Amino acid sequence: MKFSPISRRTVLRGLGASISLPLMEAMLPSTLHAAPSTYRPLGKSAAKAVPRAIFCYVPNGVNVREWMPTAAGNGYALSPTLDALKDHREHFSVLTGLGHPHATGGHSGADTWLTGANLRAVPGKDYSNTISIDQLIAEKVGDQTRIPSLEIGDMSGTGSAGHSHTLAFDRNGTPLPTENSPQQLFERLFVPQDASSREATLRRYAEKRSILDSVIREAKALEKKLGTADQAKLGEYLTSVRETERRIQREADWIDVAKPSIHADGLQLTSKPMDGHDRPMWLDVMMEISYLAFQADTTRTITFQWSREAGGYGGSGENHHELSHHGGDADMLKRLANIDRFHLSRLARFMDFLKATEEEGGTMLDHTMIVFGSGMNSGEKGDHSPENLPLLIAGGSKWGLKHNQHLAHQVGNHPPLANALLTIAQKMGVETDKFQDATGTLSGLA
Amino acid sequence: MPFRFAIFLLSPSVLAAVEPAIFTAEIRPFIEHHCVKCHGPEKQKGKLRLDTLPPDFTDPRTAERWKEVVDSVSSHEMPPEEEPRPHSLDVAKFASWLETRLADAETAKRPPEVVLRRMNRSEYNNTIRDLLGVDFQPASRFPDDPQAGGYDNVGTALTISPLRMELYYDEARTILDRALFAGPRPEVVKWRFDPEENADRGMDVLRVKRGRDNVILNAGQISRIAGEFTFMRREAWNGSIGFRDFAVAVEGDYLIRLRAAAKVPERKAFTAWVRQVLEKRRAAEIALEPQKKQWIDDDFENRVKHFETSRTYDYGPPRLKLTQDLAGTPSVIAELDIAAPVSAPQVYELTRHFTTARGGLTFENVYEVTRHQENGDLLGEDAFPRPELGIDWIELEGPIHAVWPPKSHRMVLHESEKETTDEATYAREVLTRFMPKAYRRPVFPAEIQDKLALYTAARPGKSSFLEAIKIPLISILTSPNFLFLVEPKVATATAEPLTPHELASRLAYFLWSSMPDETLFRLASDGSLAQPQVMQEQVDRLLADPRSEAFVKNFSGQWLGLRKVGANPPVKGIYPDYDRHFEISIVRESEGFFSEILRHDLDVRNFLKTNFVTINERLARFYGIPSIKGDEIRRVPIPDGLQRGGIVTQAAIHTITSNGTRTSPVSRGVWVLKTLLGTDPGLPLANVGEIANEIPGIDKATVRQRLALHRENPSCARCHDKIDPLGFALENFNAVGQWRDRESRPNTDKEAADDPVIDATGKMPNGVEFVGLAGLQDALLGQHHSFENSLATQLTTYAIGRELGFSDREEVRRLTSAMNKNGNSLRSLIHAISTSPLFTTH
Repeated sequence: MKFSPISRRTVLRGLGASISLPLMEAMLPSTLHAAPSTYRPLGKSAAKAVPRAIFCYVPNGVNVREWMPTAAGNGYALSPTLDALKDHREHFSVLTGLGHPHATGGHSGADTWLTGANLRAVPGKDYSNTISIDQLIAEKVGDQTRIPSLEIGDMSGTGSAGHSHTLAFDRNGTPLPTENSPQQLFERLFVPQDASSREATLRRYAEKRSILDSVIREAKALEKKLGTADQAKLGEYLTSVRETERRIQREADWIDVAKPSIHADGLQLTSKPMDGHDRPMWLDVMMEISYLAFQADTTRTITFQWSREAGGYGGSGENHHELSHHGGDADMLKRLANIDRFHLSRLARFMDFLKATEEEGGTMLDHTMIVFGSGMNSGEKGDHSPENLPLLIAGGSKWGLKHNQHLAHQVGNHPPLANALLTIAQKMGVETDKFQDATGTLSGLA
Repeated sequence: MPFRFAIFLLSPSVLAAVEPAIFTAEIRPFIEHHCVKCHGPEKQKGKLRLDTLPPDFTDPRTAERWKEVVDSVSSHEMPPEEEPRPHSLDVAKFASWLETRLADAETAKRPPEVVLRRMNRSEYNNTIRDLLGVDFQPASRFPDDPQAGGYDNVGTALTISPLRMELYYDEARTILDRALFAGPRPEVVKWRFDPEENADRGMDVLRVKRGRDNVILNAGQISRIAGEFTFMRREAWNGSIGFRDFAVAVEGDYLIRLRAAAKVPERKAFTAWVRQVLEKRRAAEIALEPQKKQWIDDDFENRVKHFETSRTYDYGPPRLKLTQDLAGTPSVIAELDIAAPVSAPQVYELTRHFTTARGGLTFENVYEVTRHQENGDLLGEDAFPRPELGIDWIELEGPIHAVWPPKSHRMVLHESEKETTDEATYAREVLTRFMPKAYRRPVFPAEIQDKLALYTAARPGKSSFLEAIKIPLISILTSPNFLFLVEPKVATATAEPLTPHELASRLAYFLWSSMPDETLFRLASDGSLAQPQVMQEQVDRLLADPRSEAFVKNFSGQWLGLRKVGANPPVKGIYPDYDRHFEISIVRESEGFFSEILRHDLDVRNFLKTNFVTINERLARFYGIPSIKGDEIRRVPIPDGLQRGGIVTQAAIHTITSNGTRTSPVSRGVWVLKTLLGTDPGLPLANVGEIANEIPGIDKATVRQRLALHRENPSCARCHDKIDPLGFALENFNAVGQWRDRESRPNTDKEAADDPVIDATGKMPNGVEFVGLAGLQDALLGQHHSFENSLATQLTTYAIGRELGFSDREEVRRLTSAMNKNGNSLRSLIHAISTSPLFTTH
């Protein structure tokens, strides 16, 4: 029998337990929510100054009373909640009054946050979605990096219709599953595949191609025996197989490029996604991995659902969903605002990292666009409205994003939220003026 | 110009050709008379204008509008009550003429047909289980299956995307790796852990040597040792037992075994403990503030009364939650009651797959003592009596294989003399046996040849036969012939019968959500399955098989909406009863209810009202029914005075029709309309947001009052006058299904004496008024034909995997009456469906 010294993890869990007591929590200033991760930014980025974008989603809305700034424009005073980002006020804009006209409210906000879709638009389907902005971007820039886009979420997988566990939807409206394990995400991005020589990998690709060729032959033989409606279905199948073949080619193209060498020291890869105590550490490590993926140019587009709708935790493990049904209750609103500030403190830390990292004549923050917000507005009374969403956009000033401003729009008479998303897509290099119901880019943002 | 003149002259006759004589003579006048006041040139209520709606039944949008007209007129929802009523004969004539035209138009276009459908997740999992003998839910990584018409087995909605294709490919490999084995039987390891080894109770500090690993062993800091057992008291970060930071050397199925026992406090001992604690506190408080003695005494009495009477403390056995962590991904692998007393401990055992990734197992006691105002400050007391879960030891043993090579291996790679002597011939044998099962039909030699070519090409580069044969097998598992339920057909005017093998598949996927078994294959091959008598026998055989649980779960889960339970859970602060065990139990209750009616051939009207409930101990405690022990769901007669019995009294339904903090009479009304009366009220006009928590001028506004405000808007009232009153009838059930007489304030479920009494008067869409649950149930029974017809529509949709069209209505009526004539049971309906042309033809 052998005793090893007490691990840091144990100490942290102990701390988590003590601040989760309701009384203590109320007495503590919000800065104590700060995560215990000791990981530090790298100082210098390994990448060139390329545009990249990360979309961070928090569920259940926010305490709007403490979120919404009172004045609009450039000289606006930060609201009590936004004060958590005061060190970065030169680098972000807060957007109010926006929403997706087709969104239906309730807890379906994550389904449409980046797609703007009318989920009931297709006859014969109870639910259908459309491409999300990050995937539109990935279609354009994804082939320049090893991973076209990253999908992160606390639940993993895709969730169910109307309760999505991912923000990303492909061109067919199929949800793209998220990763929630820091360990597995890290391995996928940075750990070289062992025991597989170049030849073995290429052989595997060839094998996969021959298998797909065989099923294509089957599909073609089958096609002749089918009616028109069936043929259309089989067409989807054939398209998907061909796309899979294209992806194999893509992977083969990357085979001679080694994965970036990143050390896992200091990264708390064992943090658990669905654990109230681990929440600050888990958020931090996932943001750290996102940061590392950006600086190594492993991907340029990330969607990160911090918590699923109707779920989520605060920095001390509070039940986020419960507090969103505040019904105007002052105490619940106060606790909700604490969670909002906790979230922004984690965002601020990510921005600290980007700002501290030099990259081709600027910092990573200048080159990285961050969209942060929720698909729900829990209003004055705990509504679950899809209008006047809490949103902010940060970073990316190198690409022309304007900051240090409150872009206020009129509820009931505002440009579609898709305009803001289209602006980001254009800055990412997507040459289009169309996305969902966008009427153009969002004026004032760039 | 004469030419132009001619056209001008012609146009009225062209119009007449489009507008048939009967339409002009009877339909038009009916509309003029009864509809245009609100749906004409002046007003277009619900954005519907009828005087200009052309009799063009082939245009989908126009046809959709006409269907709406037929439905609302024939159900007497329209014209509204305050308007003069048309004569019932006129209504019948009006509706039947339109119905016929709509059906004709649909048929002329080509009757609706089942669109090539791929297996959904449940079907994929079950098919892999039955085809390859491995049961590990490989499809859980696939994206959610979209629904159409409320079901996830409808071909039109089941799409394939590149991502899904990738996953099919990856999973095929994983499945084969888990089903097929090479080499000698792996060595079995057996590790035993005793929590007592961790004598000083520290968390994450003790490492013990097992195999190559120094495994961290936790015993729970707040647990306590008594005799052989380490008792876990409650769910807390420092309350769990487990071991982690190890990896098994060989991937495979492992046995997790634990010797465990329960300590459940007796009610008497419990109240004695509480009383003594409270008395001590009372004395201390009075000593401190003697002037408040009266108040303190009253408070004491109230609390004692709570502890003596609340069902919360009729404790059930402690509940074990077992979590497996592999490579940083935790998954809950078991949740069960541990009921064995300390005097007779038991060894519990379950099988679980382990990869060679590092991970661990965590055992927790998740029994939740419901938090009340009266016990809030006591729950934290260390000595607070609660069900405790004792663990003596835990074992991990594996990889386990009853036989070697394992059964799954032999299901694909059969025993054959060629196995070692002639690989090429053996490969052909393997594919010849496997492909018909995978494709659910006889296969052509050319199909086998194509796959064999994959093997032949792969073999030289592979180290073993096994690795080479996996290549064609992966290809089979990603083939359209496997992934889709293929029913080839050429365009014909008439509906052609399915081939016997297609029929066998339809039946198997209907009742098992899986592939046909050998018997069905045989009956398909000899053609006898097409005989109605044989079909009936097979329906009964399939229903008697345990695999039919998939039908219960998948159909009831979607028909009743049970899959939505937990998606938007009631808020804990308001509804403390709603815990994880409760959530699992209420779903099992409704599934069990469906199963009871199915398996005992009860009249389907039992769904509407009945004299029994299907519950377990957890729900008995919730409903207030004494003496039910054990976690399994069973049928229990309803004691006098308890307001239960029938689907509308079940907590699962109340929960999915609530929004987390309060009941939603609107959702409940919609649920009753759609599920029990077969009427789809359609979508709300626009998002009108949450109804207000308060109404100025009313001190405690009920949900009913707050919704009334909403119905003052006429465009809302059009539908909500039909919807809301059905929901109001269920207002006695709160958001978690608990009976209540008064409606408490928003954001609390504590009843105050001056809270408004629930007004549960309701109204059927046809105007019949009634009061409360009993009234609703009687009114529904009065319309049991609508319910039965709706049930038949739903079940047929599920059975054939397509949404029903207008032209199917007559056949569904026939199916309903076949059910009515044969005991009105689900079985009789299933019998009728399985021999209906809807099921047996393309």
